[in-house]
Amino acid sequence: MIELDRVTKRFGPVTAIDDLSFAVRPGHVTGFLGPNGAGKTTTMRIILGLDAPTSGTALVGGRRYQQIVCPLRLVGALLDASAVHGGRTAYDHLLSVARSNGIGRSRVAQVLELTGLSDVARHRVGTFSLGMKQRLGIAGALLGEAPVLMFDEPVNGLDPEGVRWIRLLLRRLAAEGRTVLVSSHLMSEMALTADHLIIIGRGRLLADTSTDQLTKSSARADVLVKSPGAAELTSLLTARGAAVTAEGDGGLAVTGLDAPAIADLAAQHGIAVYELVPRQASLEQAYMDLTANSTDYRAGAFAGNAEEN
Amino acid sequence: MTTVQFRAAEAQVPSLATRARDVVAFEWTKLRSIRSTYITVLIAAAVTIGATVIVGHAFASAGAHKPLPGGFSTTVASFLAYAEYTVIPVSVLALLQFTSEYGTGLIRTTFAAVPRRWALLAGKAVVVGVAALAIGEVLAFACFAIVQALLSGSHGGLSLAHPGVIGAVLAGGFVLCACALTALALGAIIRHTAGAITAALVIMYLVAGLCMVLPSPWKDDIGRFTMAFAASQVIALHPQAGLFSPAASMLVLAAWPAVALLIAGIVISRRDA
Repeated sequence: MIELDRVTKRFGPVTAIDDLSFAVRPGHVTGFLGPNGAGKTTTMRIILGLDAPTSGTALVGGRRYQQIVCPLRLVGALLDASAVHGGRTAYDHLLSVARSNGIGRSRVAQVLELTGLSDVARHRVGTFSLGMKQRLGIAGALLGEAPVLMFDEPVNGLDPEGVRWIRLLLRRLAAEGRTVLVSSHLMSEMALTADHLIIIGRGRLLADTSTDQLTKSSARADVLVKSPGAAELTSLLTARGAAVTAEGDGGLAVTGLDAPAIADLAAQHGIAVYELVPRQASLEQAYMDLTANSTDYRAGAFAGNAEEN
Repeated sequence: MTTVQFRAAEAQVPSLATRARDVVAFEWTKLRSIRSTYITVLIAAAVTIGATVIVGHAFASAGAHKPLPGGFSTTVASFLAYAEYTVIPVSVLALLQFTSEYGTGLIRTTFAAVPRRWALLAGKAVVVGVAALAIGEVLAFACFAIVQALLSGSHGGLSLAHPGVIGAVLAGGFVLCACALTALALGAIIRHTAGAITAALVIMYLVAGLCMVLPSPWKDDIGRFTMAFAASQVIALHPQAGLFSPAASMLVLAAWPAVALLIAGIVISRRDA
């Protein structure tokens, strides 16, 4: 169980985390989402006691991280997979971390096996690909068999097979009753993995909801209509109180009437309909809507400025 | 289930002694698992011994039964090469224990594993201090033996049985320990390798060098507080009059790493990792 209570973190004039409160419960994979620079990594660092919050408290299992004896047995974390010494072997890296918390050599061998690194355990980490380093970081997080696990962008640099492996691993860890917090800026990945989502933007909480709930609550459901009598149909639909937006390819995006109502209306007036597709906003779209105002670095903004110049 | 796991983790809380041993094991495993640790120490030892042989020959051929060139006493003459070719590489190795972790980001894994930062600093200090003392004593005795063997013909080199010699040579090993611990602390405070090396060289050598050019009373009055002046007092058989006694100079040598580690502990406890 991870609990944040009104955590604020300022770096000089910049407020990285702004009055953030949430709880991560055991037994679920909780996705921690936000655009780049939203404060995900800073939040995780505060939970791990690496950064001190300006105000507020972050507790793991009811205690501040610094107060935990043998913290790796309670919290396993992957922050930055490339933060390793290239001259050390994978085995020695894990062994040193294990010994810091009194974890035995047999567990080091187990996590190497579990992450598929046994064959390269005696190779120096400097020779590893990003994907192998990512697996090494995950091995490190699993060392203490901790009930609380945190992963910062664990699928970075992994191939599709690796991404699937992570997804299954996270689900299994949650099914074992552990608290699993996984950050990502990719909604599509989280949609497949997480059953609960915490979304932040500019350090503020934007949503703390189940994945299903977020999809349902999105107001962006509409119906795509394609018809040779688009102009006539548009005026009829508008008269019935629907909102109609013309799409680029001649299709109409209709909200306010459902597909059967649109079909009946067209039939009554003898207008042919070629396509009639009810559309649900994707989770991706729901996420984009939520974070639209809190994206720090957006490509469009730069393009716009360039045009003005 | 989670409650059960939390309770299980609570029940395993190890004793303070076990936790201290774990932190030392953590740091020792990191130090011994890097190849460059051995390469650095071996090269430092080889260069020191080679240079000491050259220095010994130079003194031996300077003429029988005359004072040694430069007015060096025979114990001090034993450590001329050691004072640079051992002290500098081992000090760099010591400060790298922090700066390489800050450079790679590994420091965050380290602090997550051992969140009590004073305990972590103590663990690193124990490992670096013991390793430096061991290397220092071995090389100090080796250098002494080499120079005295070369001088034995012309100047009648000293034996370890000579009064005060054992103490002076042991102190030579302690000088390396003091320098390495000061460097370790500078690594923690400065975090960058180049900056920490510069600071270490300034503190260990350049401050003393500046004192050498001060006018007479100031040179000794200020110089006796530097690591280099204090080191020359503790390894000398006949200490200089204007400086601190060897015992007080030992305190000066111990105070530098003590103060530096104190500052390092305060700084790393307050700073975000």
